[in-house]
Amino acid sequence: MSDKGKNLVVIPIGPQHPSLDEPGCFTITLEGEKVVNAIIGVGYNHRGLEKACESRNYYQDLYIIERVCGICSHTHSTAFCMAVEELAGLTVPPRAEYIRVIVAELERLHSHLLWLGIACHEIGYDTMFMYTWRNREKVLDILAAIGGNRVNYGVNTFGGVRRDFDGTISSAILKTADALEDEIKHYLDIATTETTLMSRLVGIGRLSREDVIKFGAVGPVARAAGIMDDIRVVEPYGAYKEIEVHAVTDTRADVYGRTVVRILEMLESLNIIRYCIKNLPDGIIAVKAPRRVPAGEVIIRVEAPRGEDIHYVRANGTDMPDRVRVRAPSEANWHGMKHMLEGGYLADVPITIAAIDPCYSCTDRAVVIRSGNDTEVMDWMGLREYSINWYKKQGVDISSLKL
Amino acid sequence: MLVFLEMLRKTLIFPGFLFMFIYGFLLQFLDRKIYARMQNRVGPPWYQPLADILKLIGKKVIIPEDADAKMFRIMPIVSFSAVACAFLYVPVFGMHAVFSFSGDIVIVLYLLAIPPLALFLAGWYSRNVYATIGASRVLTQMFVYEVPLFISLLAPTILAGTWSISEMTAYYMAHPLYALINIPAMFTALIAFQCKLERAPFDSPAAETEIVSGPLVEYGGRLLAFFIMASNCELVLLVSLFSAIFLPFMTGMVWVDLLLYFAKTLVTLSLMILLRTTMARLDINHIVSFCWKRLAPVALGQVILNLLIRGVL
Amino acid sequence: MNREEEIISILCTEFPFLHERISIQKAKRIFTNVLRKDEFEQVIRFVHDEMGFWRAHEVIGTDDGENIGLLYLVSGAENIILILRTSVPKTNPVVKSISDMYLSIVLHERELVDLFGVVVEDLPDGPSYPLPDGWPKGNFPLRKEWNPEYLNKAAMTYEPPSEKEVKV
Repeated sequence: MSDKGKNLVVIPIGPQHPSLDEPGCFTITLEGEKVVNAIIGVGYNHRGLEKACESRNYYQDLYIIERVCGICSHTHSTAFCMAVEELAGLTVPPRAEYIRVIVAELERLHSHLLWLGIACHEIGYDTMFMYTWRNREKVLDILAAIGGNRVNYGVNTFGGVRRDFDGTISSAILKTADALEDEIKHYLDIATTETTLMSRLVGIGRLSREDVIKFGAVGPVARAAGIMDDIRVVEPYGAYKEIEVHAVTDTRADVYGRTVVRILEMLESLNIIRYCIKNLPDGIIAVKAPRRVPAGEVIIRVEAPRGEDIHYVRANGTDMPDRVRVRAPSEANWHGMKHMLEGGYLADVPITIAAIDPCYSCTDRAVVIRSGNDTEVMDWMGLREYSINWYKKQGVDISSLKL
Repeated sequence: MLVFLEMLRKTLIFPGFLFMFIYGFLLQFLDRKIYARMQNRVGPPWYQPLADILKLIGKKVIIPEDADAKMFRIMPIVSFSAVACAFLYVPVFGMHAVFSFSGDIVIVLYLLAIPPLALFLAGWYSRNVYATIGASRVLTQMFVYEVPLFISLLAPTILAGTWSISEMTAYYMAHPLYALINIPAMFTALIAFQCKLERAPFDSPAAETEIVSGPLVEYGGRLLAFFIMASNCELVLLVSLFSAIFLPFMTGMVWVDLLLYFAKTLVTLSLMILLRTTMARLDINHIVSFCWKRLAPVALGQVILNLLIRGVL
Repeated sequence: MNREEEIISILCTEFPFLHERISIQKAKRIFTNVLRKDEFEQVIRFVHDEMGFWRAHEVIGTDDGENIGLLYLVSGAENIILILRTSVPKTNPVVKSISDMYLSIVLHERELVDLFGVVVEDLPDGPSYPLPDGWPKGNFPLRKEWNPEYLNKAAMTYEPPSEKEVKV
């Protein structure tokens, strides 16, 4: 593994590594502690979602699209609903638009808090990791109260939303927002004054404005370099057409800049949530959507926590789409990664990878279990049987749960 | 014969090895519990460190094919025995260690240099990329903290005019105000100890998110148990050394001194836990520049100060 | 005249073949009809070099029966997305890479290679994406004729029913 003539060592980070939440293979060539070459290999989470969407009807596809990613699930389902609503010519009622925005901003909050925790964990600052994740639990409690689940909340449907919320949830949201505001301001304080933290973040993973343009990065990565590409401002959709969003940009163009951008975005999300709750219009929460969607094609852009999310849907008049294409924001951010890693140090590799907030999930995976020389393939029904039997042995019977 | 049995009791039981093991477990438990409570978590129960060691001893040892099996097996024992041996020269309570003679502080510091070397060799002979990088970081870190560490611990000896830890403790007990002169060295020694124990912010050699586990990545089973025991005992050793040299308050009464010893070591431990909780992990380059640019000059200044004062006295 | 109409008039002046083949679908979306490969290459180079369209969002492959349709999405500082369509026949699916102008398109062009079987010329070297290493060659999942039920996951081979008994 080492080239004696040049003292180069090739170290694999992934597919299994403590610093990666999801599999990805980064083959780093080191000279001492300096990174001289980096090969980015992704695609381990390929699940074949786009093919699956073509053989299922739109309502089934809504469930699939929501599960493209666990953390930005609501934005994906919002984009898909917007696509179908545009193709079918539906007008979403204002109350539903506002509810969609509230859930989207809550999602942005919990995603950024998660990112902050993971980033701190990557640099060895576990205390901050624990604090931010504790705060994230408050947001997840609210989301569970609204949608019934901590991630993949299933709030959207074609023509509006499925869940409404009343005064108790509204006041709970406002209370949580106030508590979180103090905590997040405290994190901003720490991020700007704690020397060990700053020494690990400042100047790392630089992607200048020219590089962002060259590599086509999106989201907080681009905003940290001074490029305003927040879709909520550039091409407002839904209730964002009526709400004023103060998008955040920074000029530092390094990991530290991205940290500051995300923390300030969290504060802005809290303001948007408060405004929406105060001005929540009355009325119905959904209109009826047709089963067969008229033919056409549409491209929808929404602002996911990680950047610009583009959905392309082509309908052919039946109840199944002809083509669904999801371009998640992380796909655009991988290309600058090689440039950011090279010239840095090994210690900065995990935080640089984490700073683009990668979401590796974008496709299908069969489950293959190998024990010795036997290979067993389990499909979904088999997995469900396996888990029911396993729990029966522990004394818990869940077989009566209907699909 | 009685003297021999007395020596045996002192060495093996109290204040010897058994005391070191038990106190090591207690300190590790307090470290993890206070760290967890400061992070708003629950933390492990009191028997967790003991349970960890017992579990590890029961596990199978797997040695990679490429690794040097003999060195792989010897290093944990070398590390552990060096620390255990060094503990016998540190006064635990009262003014006398189990063994003491003039020059024993040099022996202790020498023995304390063995665990990082053993860690380096363990990582090197594991023939694993992550272990090699971790091992080289261990050595780099050792080169930078050894100088401030040695100087900070030797400065008080200059003032006391003796090279024996026990005599030094006696001297400072007789002249407690002189201990105040050593305060800068106290700070540098505390930070150097944090470096030596490879605790945050100086845990770059064992950075979990970068190089998985550093030099010990291939270790498991009872070999890993020995390394962890060595680390625990090193903690006991260093806090005891710190209390003996820099916090020499004693009353001469046996049981009161024992309680004072516990109080002093726990205060030292709390300071180390505070450092660990509130700081991020520093990059190896930052550690190098910090130790050379900030720690070493302060320690040197302390030595010069002590020399001047000694000259005056 | 709004900005979208301005863009269309600039492009139609420069490329007369675009006349009547380019239209505004809605705000910030300009679609073209299917262009020939050489026409497409001229237009995309022009919008990149002269009109400041620096961001390529993605390239979408579609299965249109006999051909594979390609939609290239580019936009610039005004965030208006221009969608350039071209098409290659399935029997000879060769297209030139635009990664010399748009670095970020490389991942999406690799997807075309793996999932549609398009041959992208001048694509920079790198690991294939997104399919795993043991994937059976010649199998392009996003083509309509490829059926996921005939994939033998354990052996990683594709067994359509014409070669063996139909097995669900």
